[in-house]
Amino acid sequence: MTTIFFATDIHGSDICWSKFLNAGKFYGADQLILGGDMTGKAVVPFIHQGGSNYRVTLLEQVFEITNEDELTDMRKKVRSRGYYPYLTNPDEIQELEKDPAKVSAIFLQEVLKVVQQWMELAEKKLAGTGMKIYCCPGNDDMDEVDDIIRESRTVVLAEGEVVNLASGHEMIASGWSNRTPWATHREEDEDQLAARYEAMISRLKNPSNSIFNIHVPPYKSGLDEAPELDKDLRPVLAGNSMIPVGSTALRAAIEKTQPLVSLHGHIHEGRGSTRIGKTLVINPGSMYEQGTLLGAIIKLGKNKIENYVLTTG
Amino acid sequence: MSDLFVRKATGMVRSWSVFDAFIYAFFSINLVTLGFYSFSQMYYFGGGMIPALIISAVFIIFEVVVYASLIAVMPRSGGDYVWQTRVFGGGIGFILAITGWWFTLWLWTPIYGDMLRQIVITPLLGAFGMQQAAVWFAGPGTPLFVCSLLTLVFVAVVIFLGMKSYARVQKYSFYAGMLGLLIVIVLLFTGSPEKFKAGLDANSAAYFGTSGSLYEPTVEQGIAAYASTPLMGGTFGLIMVTLPYLVFFNLWPNWGATLYGEVRGATDYKRNFSGMAWALGVTTALAIIFFLGVQKTIGWDFYVQANAAWWNYAWGYVTEAPPLPVWPNPAMLAVFLTDNRLIQIVVLLLMSTWWFGWAGTLFLSSTRVIFAAAFDRLLPEKAAELNKNGTPVNAMLYMILPAIIVAALYAYDVAGFKSITLAATQGIAIMYFGTAIAAIILPYKKKELYEASPIAKMKVAGIPLITVAGLIFGGFLLFLLVEWFFDPWLNSGGVPPGLYGISIANTNSMIFLGSCYAIAAAIYYGFKSKRKSEGIDMDKVTSEIPVE
Repeated sequence: MTTIFFATDIHGSDICWSKFLNAGKFYGADQLILGGDMTGKAVVPFIHQGGSNYRVTLLEQVFEITNEDELTDMRKKVRSRGYYPYLTNPDEIQELEKDPAKVSAIFLQEVLKVVQQWMELAEKKLAGTGMKIYCCPGNDDMDEVDDIIRESRTVVLAEGEVVNLASGHEMIASGWSNRTPWATHREEDEDQLAARYEAMISRLKNPSNSIFNIHVPPYKSGLDEAPELDKDLRPVLAGNSMIPVGSTALRAAIEKTQPLVSLHGHIHEGRGSTRIGKTLVINPGSMYEQGTLLGAIIKLGKNKIENYVLTTG
Repeated sequence: MSDLFVRKATGMVRSWSVFDAFIYAFFSINLVTLGFYSFSQMYYFGGGMIPALIISAVFIIFEVVVYASLIAVMPRSGGDYVWQTRVFGGGIGFILAITGWWFTLWLWTPIYGDMLRQIVITPLLGAFGMQQAAVWFAGPGTPLFVCSLLTLVFVAVVIFLGMKSYARVQKYSFYAGMLGLLIVIVLLFTGSPEKFKAGLDANSAAYFGTSGSLYEPTVEQGIAAYASTPLMGGTFGLIMVTLPYLVFFNLWPNWGATLYGEVRGATDYKRNFSGMAWALGVTTALAIIFFLGVQKTIGWDFYVQANAAWWNYAWGYVTEAPPLPVWPNPAMLAVFLTDNRLIQIVVLLLMSTWWFGWAGTLFLSSTRVIFAAAFDRLLPEKAAELNKNGTPVNAMLYMILPAIIVAALYAYDVAGFKSITLAATQGIAIMYFGTAIAAIILPYKKKELYEASPIAKMKVAGIPLITVAGLIFGGFLLFLLVEWFFDPWLNSGGVPPGLYGISIANTNSMIFLGSCYAIAAAIYYGFKSKRKSEGIDMDKVTSEIPVE
């Protein structure tokens, strides 16, 4: 029997990455799989006020930093939510306000810096265990992230591949999603997604014993419910109206192929499990900003799932 | 956080409308259903209703702070169930939330059914001249059971349609209901006692086939039933003992609070707080305006006496029906001030939307907690199964089948089961108490989480606001629980039912509550043991993974 631990959507949280690296030992898992969206969503400027003083606005609260200890503590707080601290000064802030392209460059620089640190941490923590992490960046992750992962000896970039796990199960993986209102890095139309899935599925030797690791959840699975938004991206009816936003192409692929298990993320509110035909479909959800690693433990037998449970770590 | 430094990424939504949040909270502390219904039952107290409303609102504002704070710190988390589990660990969250959000809701079913007939069916049948049917529906036993089943059918339809559709129904119901209430208030403030007396006799005859004057006999029966509750006044102690009954109406501003979305900052806390606080404030103000309108035209004493006459009969203390043979629905009494039947029907229809825009959420929280428990493998996988239409059929059965049994026990008053009405509030209040404790200790037990949250800087004299609010709200809940369990009237009088009917002397209440907690504990420990035998350690899967 093989025990898989799957987590997703950790969005730049150092705490969640560290917990993920420790999850194999903690839960007794043989295999770690990370779903997409590894990168954070915000940069938090630490604006130099002279001397050791910085002004930081985190979650609309202004913090005045007056010494090195407070600076270290504040950096940790910012990183715990998956945001990127950026030391700057009032002049640079003024410049950045005029030039959004420079902000994007800073964003990319900070994101890649952290991904690089994560890869190094993974090498260190998993050294000697023989364990590898299979991951595929999600629709929120910049393309440049892939290059850093490719360099890693511990983390395997699984995007678009059919991977043979040590347990003998084949796994297909993709971080691409259907269209979102945010026009993110890896999204495309449903027919393109269908072609992407088919290109991998057609290479499976034993589809019914395979694992799908696809960032977006299947349409109308109950794991893809998100607040309905208006044209200004405001939740309508105070978030009381939930609508399915998953991929129809993926649903069709699961219905047709009937893999053993299908792992998803993307919709943080969509935590749960369900069945599509015989396939166990899981979205462990995400609470990355709270430093909580949501995940799933799946115990795989030969051609069947022995057991599974969602975790809150 | 400046938008400049936030990139376009999935889930980066803008803030929801405070007005929309207000609407859902406003409908949760529903003046016309929960309010009119509970006010009418509170005919035997010594504390004034207006001061009681204000004092209860002052306490409940701290509930609003507690829930808005917890949502800001732990959004998207599934509410009380997850908050308590995260802070306390183990089975406390499961047992309290399963009982509060699932089992207790079975008992709310016949209560919703009672409101359906008294607020919607009976007045409308009367207005359409179907006198016998109107009176039959107001009666004990089968009519209440039928209306409980109708409620379940309505709730099932709402679950089938989904919240996307029902949230819109609620919004339309808000506008229609407010228009109806506005007309009712105008009628009350423009009418006169003489006009009311004449309208009562004439319309009651037309609606329910009564004859002669109803006013004096109703007053007599009300006095005989010990009608006493004043509009104003009463000592502080007397006002406080009305609160354990009054919270049946207004303990729920958090019911519709949104848990979704990416929290971007302290503003989101304020938006959540504002939505709930405005709902509490506006509802309290409307209740006071309504009471003043009642006093002006119907007469406060008559209103209390008519309620006393009805409930004394409905609760079985007397067998003779009151002169007005139905619940003295204040909206109906108000429309008796006009002779125009069309206006009466329109207003009654508009006032019905308060029920239709509210009752659909009866099992909303139950569905969520059943799904959360099933995902945690503490219920069978099938509990969270959706059919091809996306309807949670099994979860619906878990709610509806026991609710039918409880509704039958309540409707037919088997072994005095009807006396436990307030246990419907008590079960949820116990769960809230758990959440209040979680709020108090959160900044200390989950220090890093709290300090990196949008409420980290909200403090009172150096103490986290969430802790202060939790202490006040928790203290208030403790007061309610002590009053409910150790009823002061019961202690002085020595016999049930006491002021609230759900004290430790009420065997039914204790059996109901005890059974709920025993079933919840059996499910938790039963499934935990089962999973352990399957190689899954439930304690471990909810424990925090070490970071280092």
